[in-house]
Amino acid sequence: MTRPTALLVAAVLVLPFIVRPVLATEIWIFAIFGLGLNLLLGYTGMLSFGQSTFFGSAAYVAGYLLKHTAINIFAALGIGIGVGALSALLVGYLCVQRSGIYFIMLTFALNQLFYFVAYQWTTVTGGEDGMPGIPRPVLAGIDFKDPLAYYAFVSLLFLAALWAMRRIVESPLGRILQAIRENPVRAEAVGYHVPRFKLLAFVIGGAFSGLAGVLYAMLFGIVPLEAISFVFSGNVVFATLIGGSGSLYGPIIGSFVFIWLSESVSTLWARWPLLLGVAFVIVVLFLRGGLVEAWARFWTWRSSKPRR
Amino acid sequence: MLYALMGLGLALIAGILNIPNFAHGALFAVGAYLTVSAINAVGNFWIALLVAPLGVALLGVAIEYAGVRRLYAAGHDYQLLFTFGLSLIIAEGIILIWGPVGISQLPPPILRGGVDLGFTFYPKYRLFVMVVAGLLVFGTWLFLEKTRYGAIMRAGIENREMVSLLGIDIHKLFTAAFALGAYLAGIAGALTAPIRGLSPGMGVDMLGIAFVVVALGGMGNLLGAIAAGLLIGVAQAVVAAYWTEASVAVIYLVMAAVLVIRPQGLFGIR
Repeated sequence: MTRPTALLVAAVLVLPFIVRPVLATEIWIFAIFGLGLNLLLGYTGMLSFGQSTFFGSAAYVAGYLLKHTAINIFAALGIGIGVGALSALLVGYLCVQRSGIYFIMLTFALNQLFYFVAYQWTTVTGGEDGMPGIPRPVLAGIDFKDPLAYYAFVSLLFLAALWAMRRIVESPLGRILQAIRENPVRAEAVGYHVPRFKLLAFVIGGAFSGLAGVLYAMLFGIVPLEAISFVFSGNVVFATLIGGSGSLYGPIIGSFVFIWLSESVSTLWARWPLLLGVAFVIVVLFLRGGLVEAWARFWTWRSSKPRR
Repeated sequence: MLYALMGLGLALIAGILNIPNFAHGALFAVGAYLTVSAINAVGNFWIALLVAPLGVALLGVAIEYAGVRRLYAAGHDYQLLFTFGLSLIIAEGIILIWGPVGISQLPPPILRGGVDLGFTFYPKYRLFVMVVAGLLVFGTWLFLEKTRYGAIMRAGIENREMVSLLGIDIHKLFTAAFALGAYLAGIAGALTAPIRGLSPGMGVDMLGIAFVVVALGGMGNLLGAIAAGLLIGVAQAVVAAYWTEASVAVIYLVMAAVLVIRPQGLFGIR
């Protein structure tokens, strides 16, 4: 076991005893969401501002099935992953041909399309009130109504997702995606069909988002309308960037910091998005490169100081 | 027409500065709120209509000067985060200053009521907005096509390095473009206020539409943005007449449909 993995396993074991189990669960769910975005942002160089499309779609579809049928928990997760991947295929098909800011704008605009469908289709989604009453099905006698049991389930899935993501980025596919990030023209010239690989990355990222979406719906028992709105898309981009998008572990650290901070601040002041906005601006102007890099800079600064 | 104004401003900023301006909707909302405040302060719609968008343009200059300027080399992720952060700050600031409840604003007395067009009855104020927005779009187009500064801006879209090599201060050009884009957003907001009223969420709704207009019109094409703005407006009006619930979604559906057939947008070159 490598050192980061050991640290993570330790974190998984300790976390529910430091913060409330629900919060701890949310952190790992958000980390799965961030892993999916990071494959696009960090490894392929595509900044998607519409990740909540896949997160929310999966949450709604799986949530609807959980509510109205006696569906097995793994089937719900599988369906969520499928819906996430499928919606990512649709959105990605329209987006991958563009690059730069137009790509970002398109992902956002299509996110808005899904948002307004969810907003208006009140008979299914509940519109602004959200879709409440989503159960956590019992699995092999384990009742996930116990927050700790559900936490264990989610954190195991998170570790599995991390393992899968590491396999992906270290595989030949991952190398091709990184080549596209570094130089799309050259990757094309070497013989790779760039849009197809971008689309594949999009679909994989969508599958991760879908998994996170279903887990989120089961955690809170409700799919709020925000789950498919640009707010969630922005949050996951922010979490990934404060963690540092270049590394595999960046989004995990980012999601930890983001969820924990937003939880502590949102109880203090109803206008907390204002502080969130200020945080965005500060990070952009002073902390570019994320916490991973800020930490590294701090250490070089410390060791460069002459000892007395 | 309002969509064309929004899209045009956003396309300018996107084309020249090459940044995704997620604060564009927030600027639109500030324009609307400033107008209402100015009406309440001065008691005159026309002065408000003149002053409020200029205030938004000033805000645009401040934003460009204090923040956006440092980010040209930073990559789109940070530009996005910065402008998105700004839009959050502005939206929450609006709630803090003007309150979370929507505000309604009447058109000035002279523009109340409707006009009989023979085949249909049309509100005077909407007619006025169409004319003003049309003049503004036309004026912006004239400015871009026929004046020296407009030519410099278009050159900036084509090739930034070349423009700065020719001895033109690229930073002034960027500030000017951002200010013009912000002004167009601000006046669109000012004109909207008496039609739809004000709410803190108005900025985000408009932001999505402005992005659609730019994507639909063709990236880096200002005329395309105008045409797409008109197309979207008409499509929405037609659908709203038959199926009100779908009138917002149709905007995005039109965009998706066009992009399937023409991925580069209606008039896109890039």
